Amino acid sequence: MDIRFSGVSKIFYPDITALEDVYLEIPKGEFVYLVGPTGSGKTTLLRCITREVAPTRGQITVGSFSLRKISRVDLSIFRRDIGIIFQDFCLLPHLNVFENVAFVLEVLGAPPREVKERTGEILDQVNLWRRRFLYPPQLSGGEQQRVAVARAIVNAPSVLLADEPTGNLDLHTAEEIMQLIISINALGTTVIMATHNQYLVDAYRQRVIGIRSGRIVRDEKRGRYNLDGEL
Amino acid sequence: MGSFKYTFRDAARLVIRHWGLSLLTVLTSMSVFYLIGASVLLVLNTRHIVNIMEGELTIQAFLAPETSADVVAKKAAALPHVTKIAIITPEIALGRLQVRVEPRMPNVLGFLADDNPLPWSIEVSVDRADGVKGVAEALSVIEGVADVVYAVELAQKLANFSRFAGQFSVVMLLVAITASAVVLFNTIRISVYSKEEEIGIMLMVGATPTFVAMPFVIQGIILGGMGSLGASVLLSLSYNGIMARLKDLLPFLPFLERGMLVAKLGVILVGSGATLSLIASLLAVEAFTRRAMKPL
Repeated sequence: MDIRFSGVSKIFYPDITALEDVYLEIPKGEFVYLVGPTGSGKTTLLRCITREVAPTRGQITVGSFSLRKISRVDLSIFRRDIGIIFQDFCLLPHLNVFENVAFVLEVLGAPPREVKERTGEILDQVNLWRRRFLYPPQLSGGEQQRVAVARAIVNAPSVLLADEPTGNLDLHTAEEIMQLIISINALGTTVIMATHNQYLVDAYRQRVIGIRSGRIVRDEKRGRYNLDGEL
Repeated sequence: MGSFKYTFRDAARLVIRHWGLSLLTVLTSMSVFYLIGASVLLVLNTRHIVNIMEGELTIQAFLAPETSADVVAKKAAALPHVTKIAIITPEIALGRLQVRVEPRMPNVLGFLADDNPLPWSIEVSVDRADGVKGVAEALSVIEGVADVVYAVELAQKLANFSRFAGQFSVVMLLVAITASAVVLFNTIRISVYSKEEEIGIMLMVGATPTFVAMPFVIQGIILGGMGSLGASVLLSLSYNGIMARLKDLLPFLPFLERGMLVAKLGVILVGSGATLSLIASLLAVEAFTRRAMKPL
């Protein structure tokens, strides 16, 4: 799914500008890093794509969906094609690893057999099959994030949004997660990843979009995290 | 099939996870539906008694000498609320008087047999107690009617009581239904808020609002249904006992027999309980999902 922002601005009440006049085009299958200081608008941009945030001005289209006016039913259908990884994992503590991942397929109405098979495949892919009966508090940070990744990709979304997915992890674990995300992108999934991790951005070079005070200040095809002290 | 299984499993989880609250809700809705059922039974019995008593309410119109009873009866029959008219000859009237008086004073009326002084009269039955006064007034102005006698106070009291019972039942019903709806609504809302995070994730991964709402609606129907079912069983068990006691205290009143009455009422109560729960649950969860899906 192509993603297009046309003159998107978002002003939170009373007058906090989170995004300002953003023009952006992300073709299907691309890997994009969003970099910028805290409060620069990275998360708002991601949340605009999931329509948790509605722009004050401008137009966002994702594939065939125009997000300006979308019904609740269409929004549900649209979101089925978007996977989200949060910095704080957002796992359900009362469900075990298997249930946390299977939950997505269940709410989408997949038949029980498919739920079992697909969840098994994904847990195998993220190396968590042997820990499937454990609960989130019994897992390490890296394992929890791998569960979150598994949950985000279990329904094979076209777009994967990752908001600081390595923020709470040590470097080794962060690399593991990064390789997982790269492998998902290699299968054709568009990935947009907001990050502060300079090492990962520089080690796995991809398109880099720099944001500051809600504005896109740079957009490089194979960029680095920090170029000459700028974003 | 997967959704179906998920919905029911999740609804059961909700009921069990908040078992204390679930129990309280079932008990509350049981009390409320018992109250509704009891007030319906009270009203049905009151109506039944009033109907029977109204059927026995008559107006006696005594005729002036030389008046044709048939002519007056025809005019009376044209009046509204009149259901039956009987012409009472002096002989019938005397016979009735003898039946009432002679058990206590034998042969005291024997001297009247040859020279019966009792007048001709017509006996008018009306369909409802609050129509008695109007019919009596209309009868009194018919030519040839000398006097009209009826149980003014009894008719008035019956009419008032019938009206009060109707109004009381409506008020009881409204209060009970509101109380039950509020309790169910709050229970479901607490369940919804306890799953706030889960619902947020469900909506983010593309679950429809209807899918999100279904387990809560089923939870509501389970709780409301159990409450109303419990109330129906309790009503059924207690009705006979209460009626037996009332018949001892008020043997002259014709109460309704249990028969199919309580069973029918039970079905209505369970149906109403489930419907009410459905509406309360939908309102509780719909407000939440609408807010959750609204973009900032």
